[in-house]
Amino acid sequence: MHHAYIDKFAYQDSAIHRLDSRVKFVVVLLFTALVISLPRTSFSILACFAVGPFTVLVLAGIPLKFAFKHILLVSPFVLVLALSCPLYDKTALTVAFGPFFLHTSAGWMRCFVILAKFTVTMLALIALVSTTRFGDLLVGLQRLGLPKLLIIQLGFLYRYIFVLIDRAHHILRARAGRKLRNLGFKQELKIAASMLGSLFVRSLDTAERINIAMQARGFNRSWRTISKLQVRRGDVVFVLAAVSFMSGLYFFVRPVLQ
Amino acid sequence: MPKAIELKNFSYKYPDGTVALSDITLSIEPSQKVALIGPNGAGKSTLLLAMAGFIKGSGKVFIDGLPLNRKNLRQIRTLLGSCLEDPDDQLFTPTLFDDVAFGPLNMGLDAEQVRTRVADALQMVGLAGMADKSPHHLSAGQKRAASIATILSMSPKIITLDEPDGNLDPRNRSNLVKLLTSLPQTLIIATCNMNFAAALADRAVLLDNGCIVADGDAKEIMSDSGLMTSHGLEVPARTGLSF
Repeated sequence: MHHAYIDKFAYQDSAIHRLDSRVKFVVVLLFTALVISLPRTSFSILACFAVGPFTVLVLAGIPLKFAFKHILLVSPFVLVLALSCPLYDKTALTVAFGPFFLHTSAGWMRCFVILAKFTVTMLALIALVSTTRFGDLLVGLQRLGLPKLLIIQLGFLYRYIFVLIDRAHHILRARAGRKLRNLGFKQELKIAASMLGSLFVRSLDTAERINIAMQARGFNRSWRTISKLQVRRGDVVFVLAAVSFMSGLYFFVRPVLQ
Repeated sequence: MPKAIELKNFSYKYPDGTVALSDITLSIEPSQKVALIGPNGAGKSTLLLAMAGFIKGSGKVFIDGLPLNRKNLRQIRTLLGSCLEDPDDQLFTPTLFDDVAFGPLNMGLDAEQVRTRVADALQMVGLAGMADKSPHHLSAGQKRAASIATILSMSPKIITLDEPDGNLDPRNRSNLVKLLTSLPQTLIIATCNMNFAAALADRAVLLDNGCIVADGDAKEIMSDSGLMTSHGLEVPARTGLSF
């Protein structure tokens, strides 16, 4: 079955793809922290910050359509939070765009800021996962000191989420093939519960067999890997450029625009 | 020279009391290619698990002369490589490289040796240059080949394969037969596909209801239509020929 893999473009080759995963991760983390820390009135500075991930995506050859499609996929969670803001904060507010003025409420302002910050940080995150192979990202995170158990779990999650989705699709297809009439809400719920149960039991069986496969290859609770990461001159240049861009915007451009 | 595998009066019951294997006595010589044939539920997979020490029953099991016990388990698992039925169970890491390197790293080999073994194993199964691929990006045939590479990288003396031809199209099955026949190791292949078994094995062990019903020359056993049909099997189209 074909899935919409988030790391679909991570196997391309570009200067951005070749960067060390630790470097990219730390830069994205820093970028996200800075964007989140911006005050809720900083629309113009947010727009400037968005230039960063856009540039990276373009340099890496990642289609912007792909990036925005994935932002849309995860947006419902944030949309609920953002759209609730105008409901509880109705303080009147006037926003100036050069010579133009807009009368709105603090709630709507907060809503737009949440959505704008979400879009900009998601762009950075998509730039990271679209230019870094998941295996390299895990090795990078491990080298950055994340607990090994968490890394192993993330690895299993990435490996088996697609297997689980496939199984769920197969079960749904089997149900659709034999469900020839509307069964009513109660019966549908009952079927859904048994489908979930079956998926759960099969996942347990899979876990047991993976354990056998691991033990068959000498696993003794210590996960060993060969690190292939190396910081090169390109990484140093990228860090310098990213730090200059972010600090320039944060310390010099932000005070001017506010 | 010790036998590759020796089971003496081995029996095993599932936790619910169902007899899975009953009084199995079997010995396999080094470099033999043995097909474990039998209908579904005959006990083939359970017997493979018993050989690798994943289930404990009554009776004795020896692998390359070593008694199968807790003390020898680690050494036995470097001697005997088990390839599970579903490649999605066998390939559990985010990249093919990590999966094929998993065994050699657990054997305590250094990074350079591991890299060489991974490259060699992938080359053998025809997946050279695909080390950085994710298992979920591979086709069914490639996944099967990768599963075998995870075992080959450990250079075991004995390889057990559970239904290795499952989900494979004729071309991939033919490639698998070529690969397995080229291996110098002792092979024990559990399968329901008689054509596949006939193309590979020089010895066949017929299991049914947890007991060994017949054991001997693969061509002889598999051409006995009375024996085969009475145990829910079929006579292969071409015994002993290339697939």
